[in-house]
Amino acid sequence: MASKRPAKYDILFEPIKIGPKTMRNRFHQSPHCIGAGTDKPGFQMAHRAVKAEGGWGAINTEYCSIHPESDDTMRVSARIWDAGDVRNLRAMTDAVHAYDCLAGVELWYGGGHAPNMETRQTPRGPSQYASEFETLTYCHEMDHDDIKQVQQFYVDAAIRSRDAGFDMINIYGGHAYGPLQWLNAYYNRRTDKYGGSVENRGRFWVETLEKVKNAVGNDCAIASRFAIDTLYGPSGVEVEEDGVKLIAMADDLVDVWDINVGDIAQWGEDAGPSRFYRQGHQIPWQRFVKQHSKKPVLGVGRFTDAEKMAEVIRNGELDIISCARPSISDPFMPQKIEEGRIEDIRTCIGCNVCISRWEIGGPPMICTQNATAGEEYRRGWHPEKFEKAKSDDTMLVVGAGPAGSEAARILMERGYVTHLVDSAEKIGGHLNDITSLPGLGEWGYHRDYREVQLDKLAKKNRDSQLSLGSKKLTADDVLSYGAEKVIIATGSSWNTDGVNCLTHDPVPGIDASRPDQATPEQIFRGEKKIGKRVVILNADTYFMGPSLAEMLSAQGHEVTVISGVDFGHYMHFTLEYPNLRRRLIEMNINIIGESWASRVEEGRIEHYDIWAEGSKREYRGPGKMPRNENTSHKWLEFDTLVLVTGRHSDDALFRELKERKDEWAKNDIKGIYIIGDAWAPKLMADATFDGHRIAREIEEDDPQSPLPYKREVSVWGNAYLPDGEYKQEWKA
Amino acid sequence: MKILVTVKQVAFLDDEFEMRDDDRGVDEDFLEKDLNEFDHYSVEEALLIKEAAGDDAEVVVVTVGDEDADDALRTALAKGADRGIRVWDDALAEADGVAIAKVLAKVVEREKPDMVFTGAQSADFGSAVTGMALAGLLGWPHAAVVCNLEYSAGANTATLRRELEGGLEEVMSVRCPAVLSIQLGINEPRYASLRGIKQAKQKPVDELSLDDLDLDSVGSASRVRRMYAPEKGQAELIAGSAAEQAKRLAEIIKELRGM
Repeated sequence: MASKRPAKYDILFEPIKIGPKTMRNRFHQSPHCIGAGTDKPGFQMAHRAVKAEGGWGAINTEYCSIHPESDDTMRVSARIWDAGDVRNLRAMTDAVHAYDCLAGVELWYGGGHAPNMETRQTPRGPSQYASEFETLTYCHEMDHDDIKQVQQFYVDAAIRSRDAGFDMINIYGGHAYGPLQWLNAYYNRRTDKYGGSVENRGRFWVETLEKVKNAVGNDCAIASRFAIDTLYGPSGVEVEEDGVKLIAMADDLVDVWDINVGDIAQWGEDAGPSRFYRQGHQIPWQRFVKQHSKKPVLGVGRFTDAEKMAEVIRNGELDIISCARPSISDPFMPQKIEEGRIEDIRTCIGCNVCISRWEIGGPPMICTQNATAGEEYRRGWHPEKFEKAKSDDTMLVVGAGPAGSEAARILMERGYVTHLVDSAEKIGGHLNDITSLPGLGEWGYHRDYREVQLDKLAKKNRDSQLSLGSKKLTADDVLSYGAEKVIIATGSSWNTDGVNCLTHDPVPGIDASRPDQATPEQIFRGEKKIGKRVVILNADTYFMGPSLAEMLSAQGHEVTVISGVDFGHYMHFTLEYPNLRRRLIEMNINIIGESWASRVEEGRIEHYDIWAEGSKREYRGPGKMPRNENTSHKWLEFDTLVLVTGRHSDDALFRELKERKDEWAKNDIKGIYIIGDAWAPKLMADATFDGHRIAREIEEDDPQSPLPYKREVSVWGNAYLPDGEYKQEWKA
Repeated sequence: MKILVTVKQVAFLDDEFEMRDDDRGVDEDFLEKDLNEFDHYSVEEALLIKEAAGDDAEVVVVTVGDEDADDALRTALAKGADRGIRVWDDALAEADGVAIAKVLAKVVEREKPDMVFTGAQSADFGSAVTGMALAGLLGWPHAAVVCNLEYSAGANTATLRRELEGGLEEVMSVRCPAVLSIQLGINEPRYASLRGIKQAKQKPVDELSLDDLDLDSVGSASRVRRMYAPEKGQAELIAGSAAEQAKRLAEIIKELRGM
């Protein structure tokens, strides 16, 4: 197909020389975690290879530990410690090279931030300090022998990286790791030639680059990721001070600079959630580097718009666009830009749910927009390719929210005649409410992508139909609809009676039909007059409570939160928490934490400290509590009580249809299934996954139950290393 | 009892399109086609009357168009219309609303319905001629832009409201049979179910030629001489500092004044 892209995007497709290598275009997949590391080589290979196929010019691993002394367990990093790691990462580099794409590795030494919970080694740093990021972790201050040894770790890891097939070796000095700890006086309190002046603090970085370049510089491009400003003023690295000085000192030793901002304890300043940061938010710092460097400069900033990407290159702010989250959301973004198919791009919504899994430590990455992210190898899912329909069965999907619209999209991509029915006029379900919350407008890309694709698909197959603004279907309607298979995706609602995760019971007096109490849906629909003094009763661990607090406070209400759970807990993992907390403080939102409600009366709520029932536990006989009575109860007055206590599935339609299973056959119905929040309330990413998964497996005997996926486990008795060393055996 | 509903397969332009070589229309390759939006409402109105009559009524949908127009009929049949009629002859390729009305008048004579509904206008050409020309040819009572209708199957009269300019409405009674052109919003058109779509494939569609209707030719009252996209004005977003913006603005003014 001839390229139809507008000429203004040509600049994104100009090849660029990076040391001994040439990148075929300006799309660089920044190092980012996925939960594969080195121990799941299939996951690592397939996830990166799909992006190489999608047109990226260079693809990196996640951070890759250079030595057992830098072990980030529970979080999952790649590792290049030995020949087994080389073999496992080779799978990725070979797969990436098949698409004329460079493979890069980001060499990581965590220093004082590496907890070493698996290896039990002691990390080393420029000075001894307690990590502000990792609990209970101190490092040992390096002497000159230590410095030589750790620098040799980098060299040895770089040689192994070259042998694993990597084209670009990135010495990782972002996020307060590796050489940045030496440059940053916040960590480096030394008085020898490695401390004090910027020349001294930059010495470790320069020496390390020299040694690595001498070792592999003829074969590999040398990159260095550098957080050019740590964003805490003169007590850290500032771009126009230490930042550009280090660039000048090390410019001859690198082939490309990889520039970001921030540190590790608040790395949401780098991987900025859309709630707080727009694309290109790091440019005000990144732009200095090209003024002080002769080398190409690349950088991240959740670039999602080809217009913006071309602009920052034209403006001389960056030479190469680096993306982590947008590459997860749409692995084929470069190809779609190249083909002028801008409307087909599955734009990153900036929710940071991908990152949340790394922060939690352990689980594989997921993506709200792209249900195939992380499933490339284990489920064999490709983001742009779909198996042809295996029958003429027609499909009815009830509910066009995240789960239903995704199910319908995949069914229609596969060629199934599909009807997507919703009583709302617009695709998106509850997302249409969520996007009206402060800072969450970009989440609407999830809906927009599906809306555009479904419109196109419905035009391609004239028997398929988007029945929006339709009357709510009853069980009779579904039974007589004429579909062979039915997917129910009717979503969930907020509880109206106070049922919550703490007591699993209603709260006496809570009743959302009362005029002075409101669920989130009632607020979105504008059904309730909101009074001056608002109390939010919260037992949800994600964004709804904090978002409503912010929205209502901005509207002039006095907001108090009573929360039985850590308020906005999941937002620690999505990196939204620090700025959310700042926002709540700015807005004088009063949080009464670790508390729950015992009863509600007109205009007042009685709350209690959930830990105030005495520490002493003893058996006191049947019908008696094993602890003392909680006597911490207090009354708080409100004009409006907002109920963010928990959700429940809207599954009545499904349950009625299940009860009438004997009527299915005579109506030619082969199966009725339930997905998304209607199955059980869950993250939007998981609801989207449900829809995607059932559409891929709809012709299986039991589509309700997921097929098993390929597990990557080491098999007992096999040799761990290629040459047979470290055979897996045990002798007592 | 029978209601005849005339429908049209209308064309929508792609974002980008090219004109035909003769400059009298848009190149077919750049057109998407679908049932006229107004016709969803006229079909629905007929189906509501049919259902209120306990299904003791027949809804016949008729269109003038080539094979592509079958889609429009099937869409109406999938919603619940009983049968379709499609009239076509290559001589109709450039027929205007009056010529189409002549064809439809013959179909009405043949079918002898108790009521005829048309859409208030077509979404592509928007002449709003066909329905009223049909009434004129038949010599039937008529009302255009009907936004509310009280009529039960087989009744001698219908009471209706018409939309006038400036938000006014007019209440009328008409003798039946009549030709009514139906306005958007008169009802909430249903979607076809999958059962409806499957059944529509089995419903009869008569294909008639001009010969079948005893018509030699149907002279159009008008002829398209040329179709073109008027030139658009230009806009430019001026970026930069205040000084840079002022400089660019001055350049544009000079350019426009030919200085």
